[in-house]
Amino acid sequence: MAKRGIPVLKKPGGNFCPGCGHNIFHRLICEVIEELGYENNQMMCFAIGCACNHAAVFNGENTMGPHGRPASVATGVKRTNEEMLVTTYQGDGDAYVIGLQDTFNAAYRNERITQFVVNNTCFAMTGGQMGWTTLPGQKTATSQTGRDTDTTGAPLKFPELVRNDFNAAYAARGAVHNPKEIRKTKGYIRQALEAQIAGEGYSIVEAVSICPTNWHMSVDQSIDFLEKEVLGAFELGEIVKRRGE
Amino acid sequence: MAKEVVFAGFGGQGVLTAGYMFAEILLKVGFNLTYMPAYGAEMRGGAANCTVKFGDGKIGSPLMKDVNLLVAMNGPATDAFEKLVVPGGTMLVNSDIVDRKIFRSDITVVPIPFNTLAREEGNDRGANIVMLGAVVKYTGITDVETAADIMRGYFDEKGKSKYNDANTRTLHRGYES
Amino acid sequence: MSETVLMKGNEAVAEAALRAGLDFYAAYPITPQTEILEYLSKKMPELGRVCVQADSEITAINMIMGAAYTGKRVLTSSAGPGISLKQEGLSYCAANDLPVVYVDVQRGGNGLANMGSCQTEYKREVTGGGNGDYHAIILAPASVQETADMVSLAYELAEKYRNIVGIMTEATIGQLVEPVTFKEAVDPASLPVPSWAKTGKMISSSDEPIKPRIKDAKPKADRAKYFQMKEEVQMWESTNVDDADYVVFAFGAPSRVVYDALLILREEGQKIGMIRPQTLWPYPEKALEELKEDVKGLISLETNCTGQMLPDVALARDLHFKDRHVPVYSCAYIVLDRIPTVMQVVDDIKAIISGQTEEAY
Repeated sequence: MAKRGIPVLKKPGGNFCPGCGHNIFHRLICEVIEELGYENNQMMCFAIGCACNHAAVFNGENTMGPHGRPASVATGVKRTNEEMLVTTYQGDGDAYVIGLQDTFNAAYRNERITQFVVNNTCFAMTGGQMGWTTLPGQKTATSQTGRDTDTTGAPLKFPELVRNDFNAAYAARGAVHNPKEIRKTKGYIRQALEAQIAGEGYSIVEAVSICPTNWHMSVDQSIDFLEKEVLGAFELGEIVKRRGE
Repeated sequence: MAKEVVFAGFGGQGVLTAGYMFAEILLKVGFNLTYMPAYGAEMRGGAANCTVKFGDGKIGSPLMKDVNLLVAMNGPATDAFEKLVVPGGTMLVNSDIVDRKIFRSDITVVPIPFNTLAREEGNDRGANIVMLGAVVKYTGITDVETAADIMRGYFDEKGKSKYNDANTRTLHRGYES
Repeated sequence: MSETVLMKGNEAVAEAALRAGLDFYAAYPITPQTEILEYLSKKMPELGRVCVQADSEITAINMIMGAAYTGKRVLTSSAGPGISLKQEGLSYCAANDLPVVYVDVQRGGNGLANMGSCQTEYKREVTGGGNGDYHAIILAPASVQETADMVSLAYELAEKYRNIVGIMTEATIGQLVEPVTFKEAVDPASLPVPSWAKTGKMISSSDEPIKPRIKDAKPKADRAKYFQMKEEVQMWESTNVDDADYVVFAFGAPSRVVYDALLILREEGQKIGMIRPQTLWPYPEKALEELKEDVKGLISLETNCTGQMLPDVALARDLHFKDRHVPVYSCAYIVLDRIPTVMQVVDDIKAIISGQTEEAY
């Protein structure tokens, strides 16, 4: 196996907080795009929020649309450029809250795109407000006494929604807080992109990540919270397997 | 000044189609024209009408104003639009439906049994073709054979050539009315 | 040129766009523009192009943004309320200099609005519409033929200036059936890929780091571009203005009513002319050079209740008549569900001539 270097799609650096999983997840995606030979035939549609920090350190073709709209922007790109590998890179606030309509309808149409979503259970860039992925009882800047699911809803599990009601090609949830999960997540990314390349339909990979800054914890405490609490609500694994797999 | 023809009646009587086919004939024989289907409030309650204005030059307002020829297919249309016919203008009244016998004296009123004439040609849904024949006659835009040719072309394009014979006879009945 | 055919204004939008090389269309149904979506949903698959019935006007504008990024000719359309929803997306298109074309078939009024034929979106369209600091070129046709012509023109202008172009029609223009002759069809596959298009290739690592989204160069270039468009794009049609004592400014469907009204007023010896703006942004200020020096008044005539075009007529007046005051009057038709009748316009112009109507500016 060749020596593992920094993917050519990635510039060094990036404005992420210590411990954040964004850079790991994004690097994995870049690696897989290169391994599939698509670094010169791909479009990554970035979200608004922490996710768009990657735009400054990404050598690949990319776009930025309004908050929540990457799935729609990606639809326009893919429909007119069928041979291009078209992805979105978003946070959970973007993909599952303000952009739920776009995400939902792209999956509903079985659009031949792949959505990558980082789930850190909050709106991170704006300072840790409650999102639809926030855990029951979790304290955030806008749920200061803990999330009340009676009036704010329970954690939204989009890949599971896709499994139950849509005809999607592939859906998985991974994590990036230890080498074992990172390896698995890379496998999910590969499956999702291969599903798109084979024209099988819509695919999505969600990556659960710690957010020490907005969880107001150390990295170690964050990993502990992730393993004990977050993964209890968000099960890891392949949620929709590819047909024939 | 552009000439103005109004087709008015119930929805389903074919007034919009008759107007549209008349517009097709105008186009093919070389007139400039504008066709305005009833739009907005007038569309409710099942009433339908369209205004066709035509001439050699530029056409200004597409809206109904000074009607030279009115095809009134029912009572409400007769009552509503008779007053818009210009003095010396013509009103073709559907005598199958409209009972009224007294009309304005400064216009020419021609009673035509549109539905009966169509039925007599075995063309129950052909009242609009009778209208078309009558309007070609009363506007004098072209001869009936040319109009029939253009009408058949219209139905050929719609894949309805099989009705061409009946429709041609029906058009002649309208033209002779 | 193709043979002349009869077509509805809305269908002419769709056919003209196809012939201009439309690759991608996305829209959401709304009266009175749905015929555009219906026509393209049938024709585009036949031609191997893409029409998406989107789940909302918001996703539709973002879809066409995605296709536009890759250099494709795109279109979306809606009525007043739907174009409101597209404003965020249009602002992003402006931020990225995307040559996006959209059609606003106006209906009348605020909120839900009614099905009437109105000009209630003037203010929004000519000021850019969304957040930020930009202008869309706004074209306003008055007939089915002009609608078709303006669609091809829209793509030329959009690509020449890398700017959004909006075509603002009205319910009446959308529903009118008139003869129309289309330009020869362009095969989108034959169009060159624009140099700025995103083709999926890696950004060379020798390139300078990706530019920050806001820096001085962009606003400066934008300012220069907007002034250049203002200078180069103004379009209008004038009728009998040479000797006119009063000149009516009217666009779209009402301008056709004014045309008939002018004929009647001429017969009565009143010298009235009309300037019909074909571009609403940039406003055809240069048209005033055709006016005679001692013109008595200008009239802004439109179908909305606030007189949305009125300030633009007043500004054009100020620019042209520096030495004396020429009054500007407003005829704003607040009957929301129809365009005014010829006699209404004749009476209103007479009221201005006889001094019964106060000047607005």
